[in-house]
Amino acid sequence: MNSGQTFVVPRELPAAWDAVTEALVSPGPSGPHSEESLSRALALLCSHSLGQCVEGWLLETMQVRLTSAVAPEFWAGLEQPENELEERDRARILLGAFRTLLGRLEPFLGGLEQLGAWQDEGPGGLCGPGALGLRERAFSVIRAILLFSPAAALQERVLEFYSRTFAVHMSREGEGQEGPPGADRGLCPGCATPPQHCWCQDALEELRELSHILSRLQLLERVSSEAVTSILHRLIEQRMERRCRGEYESSFLSDFQEWLERVLGWLSRVFVSEAGVGVPCPSVAQEGMAPEGVVGGEAGQPGSAVLQRWRCHMHQFFCRIYVNMRIEELFSIIRDFPESKPAIEDLKFCLDRTSQRQQLLTSLKSAFETRLLHPGVHTSDIITVYISAIKALRELDPSMVILQVACQPIPCTSAATREDTVRQIVASLTGDAEGCSDLANELSRADPVTLETQDSEDEGSDPEEWTPDPTDALTDKTGSKRRSSDIISLLVSIYGSKEIFIDEYRTVLADRLLHQLNYNTAREIRNVELLKLRFGESHMHYCEVMLKDVADSRRINTNIREEESRLAEEEQPPLALSAMILSSEFWPPLKEEKMELPPLVSRAMEAYTQRYEKLKAMRTLSWKPHLGSVTLDIELGDRTLTNLSVSPIHAAIILHFQDKSSWSLEELSEVLGVPQEVVRRKLALWQQQGVLREEAGGRYAVLETGASRERPERGVLLIDSDEEGDSNTTTQSEQREEKLQLFWAYIQAMLTNLDTMTLERIHSMLRMFVATGPVVTEMDVNELQAFLQRKVRDHQLIVSAGVYRLPKSNH
Amino acid sequence: MKVKIKQWSGVASWLWVANDENCGICRMSFNGCCPDCKVPGDDCPLVWGQCSHCFHMHCILKWLNSQQVQQQCPMCRQEWKFKE
Repeated sequence: MNSGQTFVVPRELPAAWDAVTEALVSPGPSGPHSEESLSRALALLCSHSLGQCVEGWLLETMQVRLTSAVAPEFWAGLEQPENELEERDRARILLGAFRTLLGRLEPFLGGLEQLGAWQDEGPGGLCGPGALGLRERAFSVIRAILLFSPAAALQERVLEFYSRTFAVHMSREGEGQEGPPGADRGLCPGCATPPQHCWCQDALEELRELSHILSRLQLLERVSSEAVTSILHRLIEQRMERRCRGEYESSFLSDFQEWLERVLGWLSRVFVSEAGVGVPCPSVAQEGMAPEGVVGGEAGQPGSAVLQRWRCHMHQFFCRIYVNMRIEELFSIIRDFPESKPAIEDLKFCLDRTSQRQQLLTSLKSAFETRLLHPGVHTSDIITVYISAIKALRELDPSMVILQVACQPIPCTSAATREDTVRQIVASLTGDAEGCSDLANELSRADPVTLETQDSEDEGSDPEEWTPDPTDALTDKTGSKRRSSDIISLLVSIYGSKEIFIDEYRTVLADRLLHQLNYNTAREIRNVELLKLRFGESHMHYCEVMLKDVADSRRINTNIREEESRLAEEEQPPLALSAMILSSEFWPPLKEEKMELPPLVSRAMEAYTQRYEKLKAMRTLSWKPHLGSVTLDIELGDRTLTNLSVSPIHAAIILHFQDKSSWSLEELSEVLGVPQEVVRRKLALWQQQGVLREEAGGRYAVLETGASRERPERGVLLIDSDEEGDSNTTTQSEQREEKLQLFWAYIQAMLTNLDTMTLERIHSMLRMFVATGPVVTEMDVNELQAFLQRKVRDHQLIVSAGVYRLPKSNH
Repeated sequence: MKVKIKQWSGVASWLWVANDENCGICRMSFNGCCPDCKVPGDDCPLVWGQCSHCFHMHCILKWLNSQQVQQQCPMCRQEWKFKE
């Protein structure tokens, strides 16, 4: 082509141009011009290098038409209706607007097709982006112009229409949409109109047409996505609220899975054209329920990719909404744990798919703080919830990081501030606490994790199976090894050491042995054996000796009984005395109380001691007169109380009344060697029983006859209420106080010699010098500091610049 | 009024009749047991020497076995002879 030719416009060129452009904008290939004339004209245009211009002209024309006429018409069509119109009409208008839009654009689309086809064939050197590229360009133009400023009205209409079709679809699918507004008024569940006006079928038809139009204009994603997303979100949420909130005892995963598949059926209607025209929608839904959402068979279909994407979105929505709800409810779920296991499993499934661990942690932690860790909650409840939490979170997160992080405040607050925690745990561990058999069961589990081996490297596990800790794990020096999922080890670790725990157990055991006094130790032996498996043989040594004492005592008793039975009638002891003989070094310190027993009893004890001394050379007995129990009958003038089981002091009191029927408080106090206050308290039991009464002048006398308040029940165990919680052993805090007092002597001596010392120095010195005995001498720096602070407050110690010294006057 | 005691279950602790509290060798309480033993009392008895000192039997036996030449009481250095 040379430049000179361009100025010579051939005669036939305008005609060819007209022919071509007319063919492009008039619909259908069968225009006024025949195939060959067109291709001739095209060839002519191309030969004058006007091929490019055809494409430019077409796009330009379309753009002009769109901006000037089509788009305003479309928006006007959409806006035109008033609010009074029925929903159904609004749907129709929406569809109508799109119909018109398609009608207006149809010629251009046809022309584009044509031009694309020509370009692909390339007759006469017509070059261009080809059919595909051309279409893309055109649709970009359409989208750009049409949706440059989409009105809210469009979104609203689309949302409304889709919601309706969703309802219709789901009602068709047999979902029933339980509780739609108006279902009880005989309205169609789908379109919520009276049956005679039902337009369900129409709605589906309209949906179908709309989808076609949108997909033809490649506006489907653009127009529908937002609406579909919000519908799905809202509906999943609604359904979840309705079905799952507060329900922890069944799994909702498969239920929702099914439901989501049905929803997918609706989606395939919305995206019907892309999913392949004419495919009956439910067929997609019939595919596998695999939670991962891989529908294998559909992969080849056009548009199944779109559905697939929606399906993933839906699962994502579902998981997120579910997790949100459960996180809110997690505390309740934990509280109900063994029953709420399905909820935990669901949550675990969903949590793995969303990244909401952090949210869960913070929420759970604050739930614990607000609902559990305040002074109004009973210790046993805290422990129960903690145990549930351990169990539940063990299911949820085998790495136990959640437990460690979220439950961190539990041990800190409860153990530090409540003295009865250890006792509660021990009691439930040995199956004493009512309604709390969890721990007892846990204890007797088949494969106990010994606390010993946990500290060492666990070489048993396969290194291949190692997984790193989740990122939210606490970065503590102990690392993941310490995070055991074993409930007992966790509970024990609350207290920092096994020693405290075992010490407490020893106290509980002592209490129990001293309370029942029937030498029946089968259960205790079992418990000790089980604890031995966990805490190691050496730690339970003291308990074993205690149990052995019980067995030995029984043997000695039988021995002495036998000996006594061989005696002559008149030498028979006046009292059937049996004894629990303790190895004092191995029992927890017992409360020392002085009490004088009546001569009858003390004589019997002396005789018993003598026989014991005969039996065991060079050993003697030291009686604890206030401990034990007495079974007695009381014969009064007109009635008899039989098989009363009372404490020694009660028995001693009533024995004194046998000799003399009226006593004053002072006299009793003197003869018993017990403070008056105590005597008065103990007398209350006999007053309650109607055996004694208080007379004028503070004297007490026997009520021989006519007890008005005679109790019908007999032979009950009579322990008055103030004694019920009383244990025979000194309490933990008393023991600690004693121990600290021992330390105080050391500290004073050290400070006398060294003048000034820092807290750390004192602590390490104490650790070095104070030998460990049966009493726990373990003490951490904080405890020591608190103790020293107390001494400072009492002016027994001076602290300045971090060093302690004794006040001058003490020197 | 007549009180009939059917059964009196008392509590007592046993202790060695010794003139000291701790064993002079292991420094443990007599009422406990020597370091090698687990159970006090019959299983870890005390023995008395003619010098009137007493020890855990296991402790003094160990001591005597370690003495090459003459067997002496670790407390008073008199020749050790078991009482009786």
